[in-house]
Amino acid sequence: MTTLEPILSIRELVVSYGAIKALHGISMDVYEGEIVCVIGANGAGKSTLLNSVMGAVPIEMGEILFEGKPLAKRSHKVVASGISLVPEGRKIFGPLTVSENLMVGAFLRKDKEQVQEDLEWVYTLFPRLKERKDQPGATLSGGEQQMLSIARSLMSRPRVLLLDEPSLGLAPILIKEIFDELKLINKRGVTIVLVEQNARQALMLSHRGYVMQTGRVIIQGPSMELLSDPRVKMAYLGKLKT
Amino acid sequence: MGTFAQQLINGISLGSVYALIAVGYSLVYSILLFSNFAHGGFIVIGGYTCYYALRSMGNNIWVGGFLALLATGIAAALTERIAYRPIRERTDIKLYLLIASLGMSIVIENLFVVTIGGRFRALPPVIPTNPVRLFGITTTSAFDLLSMVVAVIFLTGLQLFIKKSKWGLAIRAAACDLRTAGLMGVNVNMLISIVFFVAGVLAAVGGIFLSVRYTLYPQLGAITIKAFVAAVVGGLGSLPGAVVGSLILGLAEMLTAGFISSQLRDLVVFSLLVITLLVKPTGLFGKEPLEKV
Repeated sequence: MTTLEPILSIRELVVSYGAIKALHGISMDVYEGEIVCVIGANGAGKSTLLNSVMGAVPIEMGEILFEGKPLAKRSHKVVASGISLVPEGRKIFGPLTVSENLMVGAFLRKDKEQVQEDLEWVYTLFPRLKERKDQPGATLSGGEQQMLSIARSLMSRPRVLLLDEPSLGLAPILIKEIFDELKLINKRGVTIVLVEQNARQALMLSHRGYVMQTGRVIIQGPSMELLSDPRVKMAYLGKLKT
Repeated sequence: MGTFAQQLINGISLGSVYALIAVGYSLVYSILLFSNFAHGGFIVIGGYTCYYALRSMGNNIWVGGFLALLATGIAAALTERIAYRPIRERTDIKLYLLIASLGMSIVIENLFVVTIGGRFRALPPVIPTNPVRLFGITTTSAFDLLSMVVAVIFLTGLQLFIKKSKWGLAIRAAACDLRTAGLMGVNVNMLISIVFFVAGVLAAVGGIFLSVRYTLYPQLGAITIKAFVAAVVGGLGSLPGAVVGSLILGLAEMLTAGFISSQLRDLVVFSLLVITLLVKPTGLFGKEPLEKV
């Protein structure tokens, strides 16, 4: 990328759940405008990484810098500073309508007119959400719920969007659709950090990638290189056929 | 016919006071998923604040009522801050909150016993209790009508707050998933304080009416057990459920007292609880356990 200062910088991050260490000193830099993917098996600590950025998991050691300054440690302040998370498993508010879900995403914003603009924008990105805007979120299909979850997190107008396994449980055609939308979101200037088990597609979409294993980064580099890296191929791409 | 209509009105009136208490209790349950037994304490705080405000500030129910609502709201938010938040921030296990709330209920009750004594007090006669002739068929008291009207006003206000305001939306979101609401930018601690404040205000309104109905004493809060039953019958965590459950309970109690025996009213109440738990444990409007994706 560039030699600029990273927008999001994670330094020597250590996180534990009780006696179990989930992250053993992870470092990671994300530059403005990038799509960065984090791949790795179940239990590698990918979700923990995102949750600790969001302030949802306490940090034991290390620090997280956003635009060079220490990031707040409470979720609502992290959102206010310009980072939002699309949580694993979509986590939409089932009884609330689609448009109410989106308005929760815009909870912290006071600029009503721009909220309306962003609402129109996410409806253009995901037209099916507009068709269903008065339906309870729970009545949506899995793919639509994932779209809603992404749209909801965009409503805070984040500068960095974190996504935790958006492809989980979705049909390949839907995954492709959602990844295409992520590309569009990124084109609009939103920096993206994508955590995925679906390694091949995540690497194809992203500029750079990190490979995590048991709480450590074991390989990192431009996604194109990772796609052809024999270690990555063997561990994460081996069984997939294209 | 006259007696029946009278008991009907009594039942709805009592039910509407239960509803004020049950709705606040259910609101807290919907967010934190534990049974806040200190809710009865809030009623007592409301009753006593009103009593002393009336005594010291010239029997003005508007002033006394306002102060009682405010003080109880703050006391409820404070209870959460002191007793529940430290637990919430350390563990997700709800049992600890439940136990803490039992403790707080004893603390609040005994604070009153120790400081002002356990004797029964009557609120100064600021709320009219004179008989009112209704449609020429029955006689009821102004107090019963007033408690219904006030309950309707407060419950409508709550409904508007929950449905129309920004924090109301956040509360509904938090009721399905508190953690995710936090990830969306909602200040979760602030939200919980607001919820406790609102629950406290509603409990104070209930407390004032109960103090007029039954006089005021430190154990008055024990009556919340009826509101708990109402909330379970209606479906824990559901606000419309809490209202409907309360009305059913109030009616069952008054009709039993009027036509069978006053001694049996509590038996009927708890039978309703047992039947609900046997037939439909989620209550009338209760959430079925959500599917996990």
